[in-house]
Amino acid sequence: MDQNIKQRIDTVIANLDQLPNLPEVASKVINMVSNPDISFKQVAQEIVKNQAMTTNILKLCNSAYFSKGNEITSIDRAIVTLGLKEVKDIVLLVAAKPVLEKPVVGYDLGQGDLWKQGLSVATMSRDIALNKKKKDIADVVFTGGIIHNVGKVVIALYVQQAFKKILETVQTQNIPFHQAEKEIMGYNHQEVGEKILEKWNFPPVLRSIVRFYQEPENAPPEHRLEVSIVHIANAICLMGGIGIGNDGLYHEIKDAAIKKTGLTQGELENLYARVPDILNQIRDLQ
Amino acid sequence: MSEIITVGVAQIRHSSSPAILRTILGSCVGICIYDRVKKIGGMAHILLPHNLKRGQSQEKYADTAIPLLVNELTKAGAKIENLSAKIAGGASMFKFGTNVMLGQIGERNIEQTKLELEKLKISVVVEDLGGNFGRVIDFYLEDGRMKVKAGGQEKIYYKV
Repeated sequence: MDQNIKQRIDTVIANLDQLPNLPEVASKVINMVSNPDISFKQVAQEIVKNQAMTTNILKLCNSAYFSKGNEITSIDRAIVTLGLKEVKDIVLLVAAKPVLEKPVVGYDLGQGDLWKQGLSVATMSRDIALNKKKKDIADVVFTGGIIHNVGKVVIALYVQQAFKKILETVQTQNIPFHQAEKEIMGYNHQEVGEKILEKWNFPPVLRSIVRFYQEPENAPPEHRLEVSIVHIANAICLMGGIGIGNDGLYHEIKDAAIKKTGLTQGELENLYARVPDILNQIRDLQ
Repeated sequence: MSEIITVGVAQIRHSSSPAILRTILGSCVGICIYDRVKKIGGMAHILLPHNLKRGQSQEKYADTAIPLLVNELTKAGAKIENLSAKIAGGASMFKFGTNVMLGQIGERNIEQTKLELEKLKISVVVEDLGGNFGRVIDFYLEDGRMKVKAGGQEKIYYKV
């Protein structure tokens, strides 16, 4: 292990200022939505406090991706028309984009690549949840899909320095990339991602998705379905070449995750075949 | 700087010198076909081997996309006897469960791609296939060379 890199990552994650920021409204809204005592009026009031974001949120409400036909001109209207959970997803999209759209040089990802991958994984995860009649978790796996890779934004700088060693470790020890990250740097991007979500005060299920999306069998049992869905969507999108970086396909698709979701071989292949449609769908969110 | 034309997943594009065709591949296969005399060429980016519902999204499948690409090239003036192919991609997931058929999709794509080119009597002069890397490929229509960027390294294949 490279102790120097490990110590530098220790310092970064111990120092909240060095982790990416998210507008406060995003974590507030995410937590409000899971609280049954909060009325939709309160959520709307919270959102409109941030005028700049409100404009962008309304733009997305009227995008081909989210629109239900009638033009939406206020947050109140958006919540009534699209539903609270959908509006929460849109708030997160607007808040997270500046963090996730930057180039992630250490992973060889250009401007917008990580963002596009997040949008694709989110969309495919939501499709899986809806197809498997799990509508109640569709919004959670969508949000989890958007941010599952967020740790890469912080750890990329160190991956850039350690890339050769990480790749050598993958090949000599026959372990997936994220395990080799940990071997060499003392951390992998999932652990760093979890720290970022702690800073943002995100709920436990989203932390589990970020932390365990490469190893769903280790997620807490109550979150294992959500984590498994994002695990599969991530693998399929990478196979389709979306947001594929220098870590390539040095990852896994786990039988246990497929079993957990109940996806059949045919359904998996159909999801993969839908990659071009998903890329079309997310075009106006990029 | 020559024009770079991006070829998306399940798309076919063709052009002439000095344009550059670019695509990004995971388990998909990129097929670059070049007429060395006319200096025109095209690229197909296929996602799956077989089109089971004929007529639908032909560009997505090896067995329908490759004849379509060759047809477009001959319409643009290419001669079958001057054509050669370079193929890249078809990577697999590093590890996948024994029950995951999708894990073999890269290999199935490669197999079907070769079969289709053989049927059309187009020789494959360069292969950069398999493994676990993603690939960015640039196909230069000025001389038919193909650059493959994978895992932080670049290779250039000149054979046409």
